[in-house]
Amino acid sequence: QGGSVKTGKMPEGEKMRQCKQEEQQQQKEEEREGLIEFYGSYQELFQFFCSNTTIHGAIRLVCSKKNKMKTAFWSVLFFLTFGLMYWQFGILYREYFSYPVNLNLNLNSDRLTFPAVTLCTLNPYRYSAIRKKLDELDQITHQTLLDLYDYNMSLARSDWASLSARKRSSRSLLHHVQRHPLRRQKRDNFVNLPENSPSVDKNDWKIGFVLCSENNKHCFHQAYSSGVDAVREWYSFHYINILAQVPDAKALDESDFENFIYSCRFNEATCDKANYTHFHHPLYGNCYTFNDNSSSLWTSSLPGINNGLSLVVRTEQNDFIPLLSTVTGARVMVHDQNEPAFMDDGGFNVRPGIETSISMRKEMTVRLGGSYSDCTEDGSDVPVQNLYSSRYTEQVCIRSCFQLNMVERCGCAYYFYPLPAGAEYCDYTKHIAWGYCYYKLLAEFKADVLGCFHKCRKPCKMTEYQLSAGYSRWPSAVSEDWVFYILSQQNKYNITSKRNGVAKVNIFFEEWNYKTNGESPAFTVVTLLSQLGNQWSLWFGSSVLSVMELAELILDFIAITFILAFRWFRSRQQLPPPGPPPNSHANTAFQDEAPSLGTPHRFTVEAVVTTLPSYNSLEPRGQSRDGEVGHE
Amino acid sequence: AMAPGKKITARIKRTLPVKGPQAPTLSELMRWYCLNTNTHGCRRIVVSRGRLRRFIWILLTLSAVGLILWQCAELLLNYYSASVSVTVQFQKLPFPAVTICNINPYKYSSMKDYLSELDKETKKALETFYGFSEGKSKVRRSVNEWNSTGNDFFKQIPLLKFEDFSKTATDLHSGQKRKIEGSVFHKDSSIVNSGDSNDIGFQLCDANNSSDCALYTFSSGVNAIQEWYKLHYMNIMAQIPLETKEKLSYSADDLLLTCFFDGLSCDKRHFTRFHHPLHGNCYTFNSGENGTILSTSTGGSEYGLQVVLYIDEADYNPFLVTSTGAKIIVHDQNEYPFIEDIGTEIETAVATSIGMHFTRSRKLSKPYSDCTETGADIPVENLYNKSYSLQICLHSCFQKAMVDSCGCAQYAQPLPAGAEYCNYKKNPNWMYCYYRLHEKFVKEQLGCQQICKDACSFKEWALTTSIAQWPSTASEDWMLRVLSWDKGQKINKKLNKTDLANLMVFYKDLNERFISENPANTLVILLSNFGGQLGLWMSCSVVCVIEIVEVFFIDSLSIVMRRQWQKAKKWWNDRKRDRSGKGPQAGDPERQGHDNPVCIDEDLPTFNTALRLPLPQDNPLPRTPPPNYSTLRLETAFTEQLPDTLEVGQH
Repeated sequence: QGGSVKTGKMPEGEKMRQCKQEEQQQQKEEEREGLIEFYGSYQELFQFFCSNTTIHGAIRLVCSKKNKMKTAFWSVLFFLTFGLMYWQFGILYREYFSYPVNLNLNLNSDRLTFPAVTLCTLNPYRYSAIRKKLDELDQITHQTLLDLYDYNMSLARSDWASLSARKRSSRSLLHHVQRHPLRRQKRDNFVNLPENSPSVDKNDWKIGFVLCSENNKHCFHQAYSSGVDAVREWYSFHYINILAQVPDAKALDESDFENFIYSCRFNEATCDKANYTHFHHPLYGNCYTFNDNSSSLWTSSLPGINNGLSLVVRTEQNDFIPLLSTVTGARVMVHDQNEPAFMDDGGFNVRPGIETSISMRKEMTVRLGGSYSDCTEDGSDVPVQNLYSSRYTEQVCIRSCFQLNMVERCGCAYYFYPLPAGAEYCDYTKHIAWGYCYYKLLAEFKADVLGCFHKCRKPCKMTEYQLSAGYSRWPSAVSEDWVFYILSQQNKYNITSKRNGVAKVNIFFEEWNYKTNGESPAFTVVTLLSQLGNQWSLWFGSSVLSVMELAELILDFIAITFILAFRWFRSRQQLPPPGPPPNSHANTAFQDEAPSLGTPHRFTVEAVVTTLPSYNSLEPRGQSRDGEVGHE
Repeated sequence: AMAPGKKITARIKRTLPVKGPQAPTLSELMRWYCLNTNTHGCRRIVVSRGRLRRFIWILLTLSAVGLILWQCAELLLNYYSASVSVTVQFQKLPFPAVTICNINPYKYSSMKDYLSELDKETKKALETFYGFSEGKSKVRRSVNEWNSTGNDFFKQIPLLKFEDFSKTATDLHSGQKRKIEGSVFHKDSSIVNSGDSNDIGFQLCDANNSSDCALYTFSSGVNAIQEWYKLHYMNIMAQIPLETKEKLSYSADDLLLTCFFDGLSCDKRHFTRFHHPLHGNCYTFNSGENGTILSTSTGGSEYGLQVVLYIDEADYNPFLVTSTGAKIIVHDQNEYPFIEDIGTEIETAVATSIGMHFTRSRKLSKPYSDCTETGADIPVENLYNKSYSLQICLHSCFQKAMVDSCGCAQYAQPLPAGAEYCNYKKNPNWMYCYYRLHEKFVKEQLGCQQICKDACSFKEWALTTSIAQWPSTASEDWMLRVLSWDKGQKINKKLNKTDLANLMVFYKDLNERFISENPANTLVILLSNFGGQLGLWMSCSVVCVIEIVEVFFIDSLSIVMRRQWQKAKKWWNDRKRDRSGKGPQAGDPERQGHDNPVCIDEDLPTFNTALRLPLPQDNPLPRTPPPNYSTLRLETAFTEQLPDTLEVGQH
C-alpha cells in the first residue's frame, strides 16, 4: 500500500503542471470560440441540423435523401400528420374562441347585509296642500266626467265659487287643457287620426285624448279601451305639467316620518333616525329608505321574522288626491344599497289592516365580463350618461337613455326622471307640443328604435332579492283595542277607520345562506396550451424548442447565404490575385473559423484535449494550419 | 448463520452491480446528459457553436422549464374547481310535508288559570302608562298558590317608563321614580319618537350583582308590552309539563275543518301532531311517520292539499299575538320545521293558493367546498330529531352554550339531555344570562357560526302565494252553515268567515330542477394537461422527468459525495502521515495543490484523462495515430492515475 501511495504522490509537480496546462488550453479554447459562429457551407449546415434536430418526421424527410421511396413515404406521412394536427388545432381554437364558461354555484353563509328597504306612502302630496294648484284641473276633470259619463264628482265644494272667479283670471291652464281634450269617439271616426295604441277592445267606443304637433298638422289619438285608464293617464299628464310649473315642488311635501311610520324595529332593536333617508316621488309620494347609508349597515344575525325589519305604517287615505291615487296602502321595495328605488319596477303593495310578512332570498349573479359575456363592470363603457347619482344598473341606464333622448328630441326633460345638465322639465306653457313628442318617443322607445335596450348592458354583478309574502290579519280582534289605543296615545293617531288605517310589514331573510351564481372560464389559456401541446406531441413529438431549432436553421441559412454572396462578390472584385485560399483574412467572422471548416465534428468532447501541436504536426496538410496558429 | 446473509449480498453485488454515475465530474455529467437526453433544448446547448448561440439556447431551455412549472402549477391550483349541471326532470314528485300552526299557540280560555296574574299586570301597565282600560274587565280573581309566587317576579322585572333620556324611570307598581343605572341596550341617541322621551321598557339585572343591569327600551309601546309579556309568558310556560301543554293547545279537530288531497278526502289521521314551544300544537300533513310519503300525479291546485282551517279568533291571547291567521311551512319529511323563523302566514277570510316549485341541490364536499354531508363531522350535538341543517346546528349550539353558562335551557329550543327549561323560580338569573348570551351569539362571539357548516345537499320549495276573497258573498251563507254543521256539537255558534282560512298547497308543475356540482377536472384530464405542457415546451415525458431526477439529483449528489469522501480520506491519510513523522517535502506540494482552486476542482485528473484516453481513437481524422505520441504523453497520465484508482478500490 505504501508503494502505491508513493507512486501516487510522487508526480505531484507534474500533475500540477498538467493541470495548469489543461486550464490554459481550455481558456484558449474559449477564446477561440467566437461570439457567433457560422457554418461554411449549406452542406455543413444541413448535416449539423440533421444530426442534431429533435423534430421527428422531418429528419426522415430531409435527412434520408438516399432512398427515394422512403422519402416519398415520409413526405406523405409528414403532410398527413401535419394536416391532422392543424385540423385538431382548428377545433381547439374554435372551442377557445367561443369562450365557454362553467357555471358555479356557491352557497355563502357569511353575515347577510340587510338590503335597503324603501317604503312609500302612495300619495304624492297631501291633497289639502296641493289643492290650490290642482283645483282648476279638478274642475275641468269634473266637467269632463260629467260630460262623458254623466258622473257628478263630489269634490269638496268649499271654495268652488272663488275657484270660478280665479278661472277667469288665469285662462292659461284651461287653454292648455283644452288643447288635449279627453274625448270619446266611435272607432270608425278615427279613420283620419292614426292610432298610437293597439286596439284591444271589442267595444265600439274608445276614449282617449288628442296630441298634436306644434303646428297642429300631425295629430294622433292616445286611445284607451277603459275610461278609468284614460282619465287617469290624462289627469296625470296634466298633473305633471302643473308640477313642472311649480318652481319649488319640494317645498310642498313635508316629510313627516312620525306620521307615516309608527313603529320601526330591526333585529329586535328600535330603529334610528339615522337609519333612513327620505326622497319624494311625484307619483308614489314620500318615500323612506331604510338602511341606505353605507356607513353603518344592518346585518341580520339569523334568518327569521324576529331578526328582520318590522314596521307599523299608517295607510289612512283621507288626504289623498282622488284622481291620482287609486290604490290604498303603502308600497315597499327591497333593493340594494346605492341603487335607486324604482318603485314601479320592483314594488310590493302592502294592504291596510294586514300584517304582510315578506321573506327574502338573496341571490347574486356574477358574470364574467370581457369577451365571455356582454356585460359591464361599472357602466363606464356604456355610451349613456348616468343621470342618477347611484351606481350603474340596467334600469338606471335605460331611464337615463330615455331622458337624454327626450331632451334631444323634445327640448325638455320628462318630470319623473332626473334633470340632465342645462335642461328643464317639460311643461306645455313653454313646450306646447311636448306631449305629442313624448308619446311618439315612448312608442319608439318601446319598439327599441332608440336603441336604449341595446345600448344598456347588464351589469356583471347583480344582486336579486326574491320575495314571497304571507298575510295575516292585524291587529286581531281581541288585541285591537289596546293596540289602537297605544298607537293613538303615542303617535297622536286619530282612529277614524280603525283597521284600514294601519298596516304592518315584516321583511326578513328566509335563509341563512345566499346563493351566488358565478361563472368561470371553462377553457383557459393554460388548458388551450396543454391541448395544443398534447396534439403536437401526439403527431410530431416536437416542442416549442424544436420550432426554435427550425427558426435557427432558417436564420443560419439566410446568414450563410449573405456570407457566401458577400464572399463571392469579393472574390469577383479581387479577381487578379486568384489564390487558392482566397478568403479568410479579410473576413473577421471567418478568421477564426476558417481552418477548422473541414471538420464537422469538431465540437465533440475530444476536441478539448486532442488538439495538441505534436499531433497536428503529423497531419499531411498541417503546414498551412501551423502557420495560421502561429500567426494568431 | 452468517453465511447465507453474506452469500445473498455477494450474489446481489454480482448480479446487480452498482456503478457510479456516467461521468466523473458534474460538468462531464451535464455534457453527457445533454447529448443523450430526449428532452429538447439541452442537446443544442452542448452542440451549438458560438457563445451567443449557446447562451440563447440556455435561455430558451430555462424559460421552457419555467413555463412548464408555471403552467403546471396553474393547472394544479385549478384542479379543485367544480362545474354545475342543471337537470330538469319531469316525474311524479313526492309531496313535501306541510306543517300548519295556528298563530295563537294555546286557547286563551284554557290558559286563564296560568296567565290571569300576568294579564292583570299587563292591564295595569296599560292603564298606568296609557290610561287604557278595558270596559268589560273580565279578569278572574282565581289567585291560587302558583300565581302568588309568580307575582314576585313581575315585581322584580316590571315595565318601566323612562324619562329624561333613560336617567330616571317610573315603576309600574310603586309609581315611584327611581334612578336607572346600567348599560343601555337597543337604545340610540335619537330614536324615532325621541321628542316624547317617554319610552317604555324593562330592566334586567344580574341577580348576584344588582348594579350590573341591561336596559331594554322600545320606541313603540306596542312592542314594549308584547316583549315584556312574552318574557313572563315563557317563564310560566316553562313550568307546565308537555302533556298539559298539548291539551291546552288546539286539537286536530279544532284546527282542521275540511281536507282534500289529490282529489280525495283526507282527515286528521293524515296529520301528525308536532308540539312547538312557541306555536303550540302544529299539524304536519304527510310527515312520513307511518312510512308512506304521498305523491301527486298531476300539478295544479286541484291535485294538491286543500284545507279549511278554523282559526278561533275570539280565543286568541290579546297580548302575546296581535295578528290573526295560521302559519304554514313546506319542508322535507326529514327536516325540522322552523316555523317561527320562516313560516308563511295565512290570512283569515281569504283563500290562499300556494304554488310550489321544487329544486334539489347538491354540492361537492370537502376539497371543493366546505360543507358537510350528514353533519356527523361537526362537534355540535344535534338536539333535534331531524336531519342536519345549518339552522339546526346553530340552534343546538346556542342551546348548549345556554345550558353551560346559565344552567338551564331556553324555552324555544329542544331540551338537551339532563337539562331543564329555564324559569325564574329555579334560575332567577336566567333572563339576564340569556340576553347577554344572545348578544354574544349575534356578535358571533360564541363560535357557533364558525363551527356550523352548510349541508351539502338540500331541497327547496319555492313558494308563490296568491290570495283571493273567500268565501264569496254569494256562497258565504250556505258554506258557513254547512261548515258549522260539520263542526257539529263542538261549537254551538254559527261560524264567522273571519274564523276561517282556506289554504291550497300544490305543485305548479311536476318539474324537478336538480342542480348538482360536478368536478370540472378529473385526474385523467389533469395528467393529460400535464403531458401537454411538458410536450409543448420541451417534448418531455414522464421518462424524461425520471431521467432528470436521476441525473440531476442522484448522480450529481453521488459525484459530490464521492469527491467529499475522497477529500476526507486524503485529509485523514495526510494526518496519519504527519503524525508518523514523514518528511515535510511530501507535504509541500500538497499544500500547493490545495491552494490552487482549479486543481481542487480537478481533484481526479487521472480519472478524467482515463476517460479521454480512448476517445482520440474514435476520432475520424487521425489515420495513423503515431505510437510514440501516445506513449509519450498519455502513458504518463495513465500510470499516474492508476494507483489512485487502486487506492479507491482497496478501501
